[in-house]
Amino acid sequence: MTEVIQIEQLVVTYRDTETRATRTVVDRLTFTVRPGEVFGFLGPNGAGKTSTMNVLLGFTHAASGSASIFGVDVRQPIARQRIGYLPEMTYYYKFLTAEELLRAYGRIFGLDDGEIRRRTDELLALVELEAARRRLIRTYSKGMQQRLGLAQALLNQPDLLILDEPTSGLDPLGRMKVREIILRQKAAGKTVFFSSHELGEVESVCDRVAILHRGELKALGPVGEIKHPADGNLEQAFLRLIGWPGAPKPASDAGPADHQPTAP
Amino acid sequence: MRAILTLAHLVILEMVRRKDIYVLFVLTALLTLIAAAANIFDDTRVVRYLKEISLTLIWVSGFVLAVTSAARQIPAERESRTLFTLLAKPVSRWQFIAGKFLGCWLACGLALLVFYAFFGAVALSRERSLDLAGWAQAISMHWFMLAVPVALALAGSLLWAAPSSNSTLTLVVCFGIWLLGRHLHKVALGLPEPRATLLTLVYFIIPHLELFDIRDLIVHRWPPVPWLFWLGALLYAAAYTGMILTGAWLLFRRRPLN
Amino acid sequence: MPQTAIAILFLTSLALVTSLEPWFQSWQGNRAQSADLLAVLLGDARRAFANHFFIKADVYFHNGYYPSIFDNRTAFQTPHMAADAGALEEKNTGEEDDFLGPPKDWIDAFGRRFKPATHTHLYQGGARADGPAHKEIELADSQDVREILPWLRASAALDPQKIETYTTTAYWLRQRMGKTTEAEAFLRDGLRANPDSHEILFELGRIADEHGKDPARARNLWELALAKWRKFELPKKDPDTFSLLQIASHLAMLAERESRWDEYLHYLGLWKAASPQPAEIEKRIAEAQAKRAAANAKPQTQNSKP
Ligand SMILES: Nc1ncnc2c1ncn2[C@@H]1O[C@H](COP(=O)(O)OP(=O)(O)O)[C@@H](O)[C@H]1O
Ligand SMILES: [Mg+2]
Repeated sequence: MTEVIQIEQLVVTYRDTETRATRTVVDRLTFTVRPGEVFGFLGPNGAGKTSTMNVLLGFTHAASGSASIFGVDVRQPIARQRIGYLPEMTYYYKFLTAEELLRAYGRIFGLDDGEIRRRTDELLALVELEAARRRLIRTYSKGMQQRLGLAQALLNQPDLLILDEPTSGLDPLGRMKVREIILRQKAAGKTVFFSSHELGEVESVCDRVAILHRGELKALGPVGEIKHPADGNLEQAFLRLIGWPGAPKPASDAGPADHQPTAP
Repeated sequence: MRAILTLAHLVILEMVRRKDIYVLFVLTALLTLIAAAANIFDDTRVVRYLKEISLTLIWVSGFVLAVTSAARQIPAERESRTLFTLLAKPVSRWQFIAGKFLGCWLACGLALLVFYAFFGAVALSRERSLDLAGWAQAISMHWFMLAVPVALALAGSLLWAAPSSNSTLTLVVCFGIWLLGRHLHKVALGLPEPRATLLTLVYFIIPHLELFDIRDLIVHRWPPVPWLFWLGALLYAAAYTGMILTGAWLLFRRRPLN
Repeated sequence: MPQTAIAILFLTSLALVTSLEPWFQSWQGNRAQSADLLAVLLGDARRAFANHFFIKADVYFHNGYYPSIFDNRTAFQTPHMAADAGALEEKNTGEEDDFLGPPKDWIDAFGRRFKPATHTHLYQGGARADGPAHKEIELADSQDVREILPWLRASAALDPQKIETYTTTAYWLRQRMGKTTEAEAFLRDGLRANPDSHEILFELGRIADEHGKDPARARNLWELALAKWRKFELPKKDPDTFSLLQIASHLAMLAERESRWDEYLHYLGLWKAASPQPAEIEKRIAEAQAKRAAANAKPQTQNSKP
């Protein structure tokens, strides 16, 4: 079976508009996401998570290395029919209602109107926006917009769901909702690839995680393997991995490289 | 095609739900009606000045509407980051450009229908008959002409990040061509050498928007343009629009988005 | 975006206000110059706008077929509507139909299909959607010349000192549209702003003569016009002989109609002095002298025509 996401030696650089110097924000990143797994892409703010996802979705181009989705190079017109994507921070067309937004996106996916209506009802119920479905998005709170974002990402029943910081800015109930949706996808045999910097949230849902810091992969593997016995939770493991001085000392002196898996 | 039409539909919905069109229409109607209320030596059949004022306002409004609406499309998508949601779906970048163009252009067409209906009513209120052929030519040529500013503003929004500087620049170019375009060659003939060639070149490169301005024929009730030439003008506009949109697509095709 | 739209709309409105302002005035019935907001705003630009609107009226007079500032305007130095009205002396040369010259390129040739392309005059019917454009309708039939009036009105409101606006407007109002009352009222407005204008006095005289059928009044007005001409025009370096010609000829013809031969001869003398073809007038003088001699032969007949 082909990997859902395959990233090899990926380098992403930005050119500073003023100094014209290039800055590497993702450095020789390599990992794969397998079918049916929930993969947490973790790292502090500015680690390069969004930059990696932008390459995956074809928004930007890698300086070097390769990335493919469902075995297709992301530089090719990718298999976007099978992807659901929730960007980091998005405002949807303010002049539309939730219903109209989903109808427009549904048409872009080539769904027929009956199907769109059915999925709209189902998804708006799932994200609890039924009461607001005929209101202009202009009047939505941030949390409501985020939930609408989830609904649109699920509209095409994607085989791969890519979520960029889906829980940021949500209240505890909203976060629980996100976790519920991720697990629902997993139960349906779908793949979920999501980024986060709030580690406590993801511990329970991820099959595997990758920890990124300043563009470099610090750890990759199941949560249980990454955590040392000394780390109380993933958060502490994370702090230790990125070399935060206040982090608890591990029992052994093993460096982070120990947890780097060999390339597939 | 479905994606393009869906995008176009979104643009039209947006324009209908914004106030711009209504503001422009109310202003045009108001100024025309004020002009109509004037007492011209107690003669109530004087009409041509009204037709001209109304048509001129429609032309100005048309440019403003076309350029400002097209100029804000892509920047607004980027600013609200809806562009990312959209392009992560099965929409190619040329479909995106085409959809945005089509939406703005169709919305301009709808606006023109309203404007020209108003114009027809003004003319009919004082003239015994409406010259339907001329009216149809005026609106169709105006509409096709507006495809060029729409395409220009879309392409411009890929070159100049700020929508306001882009619309100002595009509007200046459009008004410049509208008012001076047809004289450039004549003027060039009277200039010293390097400038003469330069201006002649400009003359042959620019889209001659002023060709589409048949206000004089309508205002003074001249017979309509021969239909073959009318068709030629529409094709001329379509050709320029196609070229500009292709340029916009080339600019946008490999552009990193972040 | 919205700011640009608003800026452009504001400029357009400003440009339009310049054309609408006279109508605001006529609405309010306010003729007080001091209350004129635009006077402060535009200052000297008013005169430029007034001139622009005057030309605009002539553009309408030609149904939109008119040279731009980039074209050959020798045939349009004097607006035809003013020349035809006798308000200005015609100084045009060259071919009226040919100001564009041959097409310079294919865009030029193509573009001419979308613009008026024949020389026509409004009072001759002008362009018609329902007939060949060149077909000239019987002169008296067409009142389309009314279409120049809004621009003339605007011109006068912007520059009340522009005399030819009043005389041109009055001519077309009375001559073509039978609006003698309005013509006279407009001339009176002009006279209030220009009390020493021999042109306006002359035109008022024509109304008294041709429409009021009041030759005595006409003669008074024309004599006043002549006095004003002598006082203000004669001392000039290059006096306006065209006006003198008009005043003198009308006074002469009135005197002839009323058989006042001495007076007739007096004005014929003036007419001759102002005329570019004095030989023609010389003939009339000879005829008049003969008539005077005949009249003096039977002095009891006091003749006057109705
Ligand atoms: N368009 C850009 N131009 C220049 N630098 C950028 C741009 N986008 C992101 N960066 C930089 O790249 C780094 C990684 O950013 P990002 O991928 O957004 O991090 P994350 O999503 O992990 O928070 C940051 O240092 C950020 O400042
Ligand atoms: Mg990010």
